[in-house]
Amino acid sequence: ERQERGGRMNVGTAHSEVNPNTRVMNSRGIWLSYVLAIGLLHVVLLSIPFVSVPVVWTLTNLIHNMGMYIFLHTVKGTPFETPDQGKARLLTHWEQMDYGVQFTASRKFLTITPIVLYFLTSFYTKYDQIHFVLNTVSLMSVLIPKLPQLHGVRIFGINKY
Amino acid sequence: APAYHLILEGILILWIIRLLFSKTYKLQERSDLTVKEKEELIEEWQPEPLVPPVSKDHPALNYNIVSGPPSHNIVVNGKECINFASFNFLGLLDNPRVKAAALASLKKYGVGTCGPRGFYGTFDVHLDLEDRLAKFMKTEEAIIYSYGFATIASAIPAYSKRGDIVFVDRAACFAIQKGLQASRSDIKLFKHNDMADLERLLKEQEIEDQKNPRKARVTRRFIVVEGLYMNTGTLCPLPELVKLKYKYKARIFLEESLSFGVLGEHGRGITEHFGISIDDIDLISANMENSLASIGGFCCGRSFVIDHQRLSGQGYCFSASLPPLLAAAAIEALNIMEENPDTFVVLKEKCKQIHKALQGISGLKVVGESISPAFHLQLKESTGSREKDVKLLQEIVSQCMNRGIALTQARYLEKEEKCLPPPSIRVVVTVEQTEEELEKAASTIKEVAQDVLL
Repeated sequence: ERQERGGRMNVGTAHSEVNPNTRVMNSRGIWLSYVLAIGLLHVVLLSIPFVSVPVVWTLTNLIHNMGMYIFLHTVKGTPFETPDQGKARLLTHWEQMDYGVQFTASRKFLTITPIVLYFLTSFYTKYDQIHFVLNTVSLMSVLIPKLPQLHGVRIFGINKY
Repeated sequence: APAYHLILEGILILWIIRLLFSKTYKLQERSDLTVKEKEELIEEWQPEPLVPPVSKDHPALNYNIVSGPPSHNIVVNGKECINFASFNFLGLLDNPRVKAAALASLKKYGVGTCGPRGFYGTFDVHLDLEDRLAKFMKTEEAIIYSYGFATIASAIPAYSKRGDIVFVDRAACFAIQKGLQASRSDIKLFKHNDMADLERLLKEQEIEDQKNPRKARVTRRFIVVEGLYMNTGTLCPLPELVKLKYKYKARIFLEESLSFGVLGEHGRGITEHFGISIDDIDLISANMENSLASIGGFCCGRSFVIDHQRLSGQGYCFSASLPPLLAAAAIEALNIMEENPDTFVVLKEKCKQIHKALQGISGLKVVGESISPAFHLQLKESTGSREKDVKLLQEIVSQCMNRGIALTQARYLEKEEKCLPPPSIRVVVTVEQTEEELEKAASTIKEVAQDVLL
C-alpha cells in the first residue's frame, strides 16, 4: 500500500535512480499539488474582471490541457544528464514515466484528471455548443497520446528528433 | 443537455471505469521460460572448472620478476639488463629531482587523498598541475584523472551518447575501445591512417544526413585518433584530419599518450610537430604514465569543453584523486621538460639510429615511424597460428634477456580487442640509452633473430 504512492526516491540525497523523470509523478504530495495548482489556475482566471464563469471554466480546461500536452507529450528527454548515456533522449515525459510500464497509478491519475475537469467544465458551461467543441477537441488532444498504442508514435515524423 | 453530449460523457465514464480496473503491464513482453524449459537448461548445465586447462607456457604462468625500479638498468629474474621495454621516454622515472619532489610531497601530504575530487580530494598540487599542464599545452584549461586508462575511457562517454556517431581508427588502443563501448554511440571504424577511407565514411554519413536533416541536427559526430599509435608506432596525418573536420563538421578527439613529451619542438605533442593551432583540436587527452613518469592522465582544451568533464567524467567524479606525491612528481617532470627542450631532439636522433640499425633483420620487420620511440618488431612471415608466433617471439625475447637486453611482447586481451594486432615485440627507446647500448641492442636482436628464426 505504502509503496503505491509517495517518495520512494530520496529527494535531495544520493539515490540510485537512473532517470528521476520516471519516478517524479509518484513522489509524495505531487498529486495533491497538481490538483491544487489547477484550483489556483481556476481562481486566478476567475479573478479577471468582465469574464463570465463559463468562459473561465473553458479557459481553465483549455489552458490545463495545453500545458499537459506541452509538458507531457511534446518536451523530450531530460533537463539533466543521466548515467544511461541518453536512453530517454527521444522520449516524452509520458513515455518515460515508470520506464514505459502502462496503466500505473500515476498514469491513471493523469488520465482521469482531464476527464473530471471536462465533466465540470461541461456542467458549468451549460452544454453550450461552441464551448463543447473547444473542450472536446482539447480533451481528445490530451487523451489520445496517452493510449498505449501511441507509445513512441510520432505522426508524420513531427517531434521525432 | 444535448444527447450527443450525454453519450460522450457516458463513454468517458466507461473509460474511467476501465482505467481503474486495468492492470499494469510492460509493453515489450519478455518470453519467460516455462518450468520444463528451465529444468532442461538446469540439467544440461556443466560447471566450468575453477582452473581452466592451460598449457604450461601460458604467459600468465611464466612471468618475469623485476627487482627494483624499472629504470634504465632493470634487474629481471636476478639478471641485470638494459631496459628496452618500459615507456620511460625521457628517463624521468629515476630522475633525482623528480624523486625529491615526490618525497617532499609525501612528507607534506601523506600518501593518498582518500576522496574523489568533489569530496575533499582536491589538493593545491592538483590545481597547480592542471594549471601547469594548461599553460604548457597552451590551452585554456586541463583536467587531471588518477588513472591513465580511465582518462580517455571517461572522456569519450562524457560527450558522445547514444545516437551519436564516432569515426575511429582501427588501430585505436584498448582504452579508446572501452571508452567507445561505454559511450553506446554508433562506431564507424576506418582503416588505419587511411584518410580516403575516412572520407568515404564521412561522405556516406553526409548523404544520410541530407536524407534526414532533422535527425542530423541532433547527432554529434566525433573523430577519435591517436597522435602516436601504441599498436603500430605510426603517426596520424593530422593536417588532413583537420581539413576533413572542417569539411564534414566533426569534432576531433586526439589521444596523445605516446606523443606527449616526445613529438614537437618543446614536447607539446603532435600538434606542435605538424604546426597546427591547438584550437583546431577539440580535446587532447594524454596519460602521464609515459613521458611524465607519473601516474594518471589529463585532458586539455577549451574551458567550455573541459569544464563539462568535471561533472560528467566518470573517472573524475567517482574515483579517488591523484595522490599528491605523484602530482608533485609530474609538476617537477614538467619543469624538467621545459628546462631542457633539446632532450626531444636527442630522443628523435636515438630513434632514427635504432630504426636504421634494425632494418634488414632476417625474419623480422620494423613496424613504426622512424621518429617513434615505441615501435614493433613483427614476424615477416607468420607461421599461420598466433600461438606459434607468440612462442617464437617469446623465444627471441628470452634469449635477448639472457644477453642483457630486456624486451617485451606487446600483450593484448585477445578476446576483447576489436581489431587484434599481429603479435610483435615492442621496443622502446629512451633518452637514457647511450649510442653503444643502442648498437648492442640492435646487434643482439639481429643475432638472436638469426638463431631463432632460421
